[in-house]
Amino acid sequence: MNLYNPLKVVPPLVTGLWTTFKSTLKKPVTIQYPEVKRPVRERYKGRHELKRYDNGLEKCIGCALCAAACPADAIFVEASENIDEKRFSPGERYASTYEINMLRCIFCGYCEDACPTEAIVLGDNYELSFTDRSQAIYTREMLLDPVPAGGEPTPREVEPGSFDRSIPEMKDPA
Amino acid sequence: MPEAYLCLRHREIENIDQMDVYRQNGGFSAWEKAISQMQPDEVTTEVFDSGLRGRGGAGFPTGLKWRFMDGNNWPHYVVVNADESEPGTFKDREIMESNPLQFLEGVMLTSYAVGANLSYIYLRGEFWELAHYLDERIAELEKEGLLGDKLFGSDYSLRIRTHLGAGAYICGEETALLESLEGKLGQPRVRPPFPPSFGLYGKPTVVNNVETLTNVPLIIEHGSSYYRKWGTEKSAGTKVFSLSGRVKKPGNYELPLGTTFRELIYEYGGGIIDDKEVKAIMPAGASSSMIVANDEALDTPMDYENVPNVGAQLGSASIIVIDETVSMDWLINKTVHFFKHESCGKCTPCREGTFWMSNVTERVHEGQANWEDVILLQDVATNIKGKCLCALGDFATEAVTTAIERFPEDFKAKAKSNGAASEELVETSAAVAD
Amino acid sequence: MTEAVENQVEEQAQPEEKLVTLTIDNIEVSVPEGTVLVDAAKKIGVDIPVFCYHPKMEPVGMCRMCLVEVGRPVFDRATGEPVLEEDGSPKIQFGPKLDTGCTVEVSEGMVVRGYTEEVVDARKEVLEFLLTSHPLDCPICDKGGECPLQNLTMRYGPGTSRFIFDEKHHAAKHVPLGEIIYLDRERCIQCARCTRFQDEVVDDPVIGFSQRGRSLEIVTFSDPGFDSYWSGNTTDICPVGALTTADFRFGARPWELKASASVCNHCPVGCNTTVNTRREAKSGGELVIKRMMPRQNEYINEIWMCDKGRFAHHYTQSEERLTQPMVRNEVGELEATSWEAALDLVAEEFKAASDGLVTLAGARLSNEDLFNIQQVTEKLGGKALQNTHMAGGELVASVGVGQGSNLSDLGEGDAILVVASDLEEEAPLYWLRIKQASERGATLVVANPRDTKLSSKANYELRYSYGEEAAAVMALLGSISPKTPGESEAVKKLSRGQEVKDAATAISEANNLVVLYGNEGTGLATSQSLADACANLLVATGHVGKANNGLIAVWDKGNTQGAYDMGLVPSEDLAADLMSAKAAYIVAADPAGDDATLAEAIKAVEEDAEKFLVVQELFLTESAKLADVVLPVQANTERQGTYTNAERRVQIFYPAVPAPVNVHADYAVAANIAERLDLKLQKVIPAQVMAQIAETVSDYAEVSYTKMAEVEEQWPIISSEDVFYGGTSYENEQGMGQQLQPASQGGESPALSFAQVADAPKVDGLLAVPVTRLYDRGSTVVPTELLSERLTPTSVVLSPDDAEKLSIEPDAEVTVKLNGTETKAQARIEAGVPQGYVLVPRSVGIALNSPSPVEIKA
Repeated sequence: MNLYNPLKVVPPLVTGLWTTFKSTLKKPVTIQYPEVKRPVRERYKGRHELKRYDNGLEKCIGCALCAAACPADAIFVEASENIDEKRFSPGERYASTYEINMLRCIFCGYCEDACPTEAIVLGDNYELSFTDRSQAIYTREMLLDPVPAGGEPTPREVEPGSFDRSIPEMKDPA
Repeated sequence: MPEAYLCLRHREIENIDQMDVYRQNGGFSAWEKAISQMQPDEVTTEVFDSGLRGRGGAGFPTGLKWRFMDGNNWPHYVVVNADESEPGTFKDREIMESNPLQFLEGVMLTSYAVGANLSYIYLRGEFWELAHYLDERIAELEKEGLLGDKLFGSDYSLRIRTHLGAGAYICGEETALLESLEGKLGQPRVRPPFPPSFGLYGKPTVVNNVETLTNVPLIIEHGSSYYRKWGTEKSAGTKVFSLSGRVKKPGNYELPLGTTFRELIYEYGGGIIDDKEVKAIMPAGASSSMIVANDEALDTPMDYENVPNVGAQLGSASIIVIDETVSMDWLINKTVHFFKHESCGKCTPCREGTFWMSNVTERVHEGQANWEDVILLQDVATNIKGKCLCALGDFATEAVTTAIERFPEDFKAKAKSNGAASEELVETSAAVAD
Repeated sequence: MTEAVENQVEEQAQPEEKLVTLTIDNIEVSVPEGTVLVDAAKKIGVDIPVFCYHPKMEPVGMCRMCLVEVGRPVFDRATGEPVLEEDGSPKIQFGPKLDTGCTVEVSEGMVVRGYTEEVVDARKEVLEFLLTSHPLDCPICDKGGECPLQNLTMRYGPGTSRFIFDEKHHAAKHVPLGEIIYLDRERCIQCARCTRFQDEVVDDPVIGFSQRGRSLEIVTFSDPGFDSYWSGNTTDICPVGALTTADFRFGARPWELKASASVCNHCPVGCNTTVNTRREAKSGGELVIKRMMPRQNEYINEIWMCDKGRFAHHYTQSEERLTQPMVRNEVGELEATSWEAALDLVAEEFKAASDGLVTLAGARLSNEDLFNIQQVTEKLGGKALQNTHMAGGELVASVGVGQGSNLSDLGEGDAILVVASDLEEEAPLYWLRIKQASERGATLVVANPRDTKLSSKANYELRYSYGEEAAAVMALLGSISPKTPGESEAVKKLSRGQEVKDAATAISEANNLVVLYGNEGTGLATSQSLADACANLLVATGHVGKANNGLIAVWDKGNTQGAYDMGLVPSEDLAADLMSAKAAYIVAADPAGDDATLAEAIKAVEEDAEKFLVVQELFLTESAKLADVVLPVQANTERQGTYTNAERRVQIFYPAVPAPVNVHADYAVAANIAERLDLKLQKVIPAQVMAQIAETVSDYAEVSYTKMAEVEEQWPIISSEDVFYGGTSYENEQGMGQQLQPASQGGESPALSFAQVADAPKVDGLLAVPVTRLYDRGSTVVPTELLSERLTPTSVVLSPDDAEKLSIEPDAEVTVKLNGTETKAQARIEAGVPQGYVLVPRSVGIALNSPSPVEIKA
């Protein structure tokens, strides 16, 4: 190849510059994270969320089926009994301890499938970072959704006898 | 056929409930004859030969039942089933109220035949007045020396006690009756063992219906052939038919077995109210199948052999007549509610099944149901059948299955949708009929 | 094989069971006559599903789950020959309807089909029916995961329901049947297992059905609710989550639980248990005991256990537990120290005390602990004592029940004598098994001064006055063999009744005889003569040295027999022994807390600067508060060891939870002391301690951990995969234990002395006698809050006559003047108490070792 032959050097150069030029006109594929965040797909499996009913009561009944389904043994649940003076969920029991070890979690979504009350849902939060192992354990308070507008926080005091089912029916309970 | 008064003799002889009148008409001669001249076995044989069959519903040969009593296990008991609670049955009450002495004599003869020294009359709770009345009559018999210790100088002693239930239909089932009599919750036992080997307090026990036993004095007094003058070869004697429903003259009619439905309904019952068309007949109260009242059915003789030919059982012969004004969905809603209320709850299919059926029949009757619900009802009924501990579960399904099978148009009229599924019903019905 | 054992094998083979051969699901099986189909099928691994049937109870056939096709061979009526099909096989006639497999008994040639479409449909239909009113709250149900309804639905049930959810029957979901057991009426499937268990098995019919139909519901009619020592068992046999214990409510999901085998040490029965544990955030991430379940051992507890054993385990994880060794400092306060320092001090003081060492060990310790403690004491020449008021351990070792005994083998033709025991209170499982033996036809003779729960089952009831226990037995013996020398007045008086003569005849004619003696009203001295008398009776009638014959002492503590076997003896005068000690070594006993006079003795030891007191304990007891050195130890759930039960069956318990960091097992502590005294004892592995026991104690020569851990096939068959039976597993995979041979079975003729028969003590006023209550206030029971309302209060029991004389109202507070002390107590009035006696329950706050005069003031 003759490097001094302009006919042989210029066209490729122009081709390259043309490509560069074309790209400057295109919309960039990169984004300015963390200022800008990329939206995720509908079925994206991110950090778990513990859901609430519209009235603010927690959906989780502490059945530990998510823990049983978990292939990575990442979930730990401990249940307690609801009392009318201190009610967390509409049924007879609630999760007094709910922990997910995010270092273990493989985001397979089996916990979601196992949940009988649709309480645990893998959300779209992918920003999981920690500086030590103990921070990787997400507790109940961290996982719970905020109380929706119009709802009351838990625990709350309720009229005795207003919740008499062991498992709530799958609609917004009273 | 003419009426013949064997059990309802008070209709012929006035004041037969009085001791002197009863005795003038041969009362207690059978009793004296049995004690002084006959061995217990001979009494049993006489009854066996008469062809008398249980009048409570099952139609089991009475003499045969007595022969099943376990002779190696004593004492023996006789328990009279006076828990008359089948809807549409009201014969035992009339017998006990108006012809009590013949009934009691029957109990005494039975006790002698099976060697019982203590017999119980188990009455439904609502019969408390009747129980008092019977207690008085029993006291009278004891005073007369007809009941008590060492009767007529023999070694035989007998006492009769009445016992009131608490008003449960299931206590008409013999083993539930025995449980109740023992003071327990009225729930049937597993059979076998049957009461003649393991009955009251675990001892051999004969449980017979009031009407059955009321026939016994006449059989012993006049002999078995006398009794066979009425009825048919296999269904001997007379039967008190309790006629009710849409007839002009409801009531008890004592007729020879083998009388036809037509005779009973039109001759004795005076025909249907407002002279409507007869639609169906329930020959055994709430627990019977629906007979389609066509000419063939109406001309069927009422006995234990012929009624099954039109798809039902004679049972306790409480004939409920249904005319064209009655819709079947209303009717089965009634019977199913009754059985739901009366199920004892011991076995699963009956406890849960009657509850389920009553939910569906209610919906069907209210017009809230689809055709699929009718099929579901049919299926639930079929699933109960044959799986229960006692007969109550089966009884609860009889009216339901036969009504849907034989009168589908009543249900079609009620169902919200009755399109494509109707053929499926035909198949289901066919399966049930098999 | 020794001759005795050979004989025994022959004897067992003799009553040949008639076998019946039938075909179930095309598999031929031979089972004993009278077996029901469900059990026969179980033998060949065919599963006929059930809900209401339970192999330990009479069948009722009410759940209809076990429907199967049953066919029987057809016989020619004329010839009696079976009718054959064309191919030569017998013609089988099937019934018009399906039959319940739980009520139909096997018969020769029967054919059972559980696989046909009809049967499969029937199961599906019955399950569909059951589920129509079931709340399906499995996710929060305590039974979820070990629930027969769940299991059978998965296996046989329909995939979907046709029942409209809104039409479901609703019932109360939270019904406390008392404070221990909760009922969920929606979950109940009306199988009546619980009511039948309470009625048939344990004779406490305090729950039953009310209403009918779909409204049929369980109710309790006792006060307090569900008043039974057996209530926990109903939660095990409940085939759904209708009955649950308050203790385990929402405690854990069953699949999360770890299981460890254990042995209950609350009474001398030695029930086999399974300890279920789980790591718990509430307890700071520690492994905690969530529940105690029975483990199947058909020699001991079958599949049952009492509520004390089930619930009274909370002491092992109490906050009050000692966690470090303590030594009394200059200012006289207990101060934490290191093990090294504490043990050095103890060893030094023991050495100084030399034969002045008095050791007192409680019999909740294991054999390994007791052995090492005894060895330490023996090395120094001290006294090794055990804390019991019951004598006769050597006698049981000599004429106890023979190797191969099983109380379930006793039945028709056998006799059982129960003396001086309120058996259900002292050892509930023995009460149950003796009751069952009596129901199987064994002749039961009960000798007691008052009615007990066993009385209703007794064929012969002998009454005597408190103090005449031995005389009552000698009166029986006198009626059998008249050669009995030295008859006392009491014996003569008691011999007069016809009941005694009849009972004596029954005993003398029995094939097998087992004698149980308890501690109703006895102190150490009376207990000794009672044990002697019982042994005399057994030897005189020749009922020793054989299986299912011999003496059972219903000990006051779990391992009293082991303590006797390890060479620890009771003290005749504990106060004097303690006073005379130069050093006292008190292990698992609290004399100061039990008895004010002993407290004085211990205080004397403590105050004397020359004397030294070591207490080795779980808790800071009254005695420990006075000690110079306190050594903390592990609870039995934290370590391994063995107990010897009253039938001399040695059984292993295993660790279930980790021990607190700085705490050691008793045997290890003793071995560490021994090391400092130049005595080599095993201190690490309990099996090695047992090996040393086997070398030293001749009766234990054959005992080893390996043999104790062997399992055998048991009936009813239970496995963790079992859907047949109850979901909640009782499976025993960790061993049946090993029964020791009494000396008499080894061919030794028992050396016996005739019993010293005392007459009833004569007092002017009332005589207080000690009795046992199951729910006492011992340090191992009180930490269980669940039982707090049921524990026996500090109380005395009077006869109605005496109460009237003293004008004492029922449950009134009275002052009890006894042995120089005054105590406030509740006065209970019971009809059965003989006049002139006051029953004083043990371990509820009034110390009484033997019958003593008492003064009661309103």
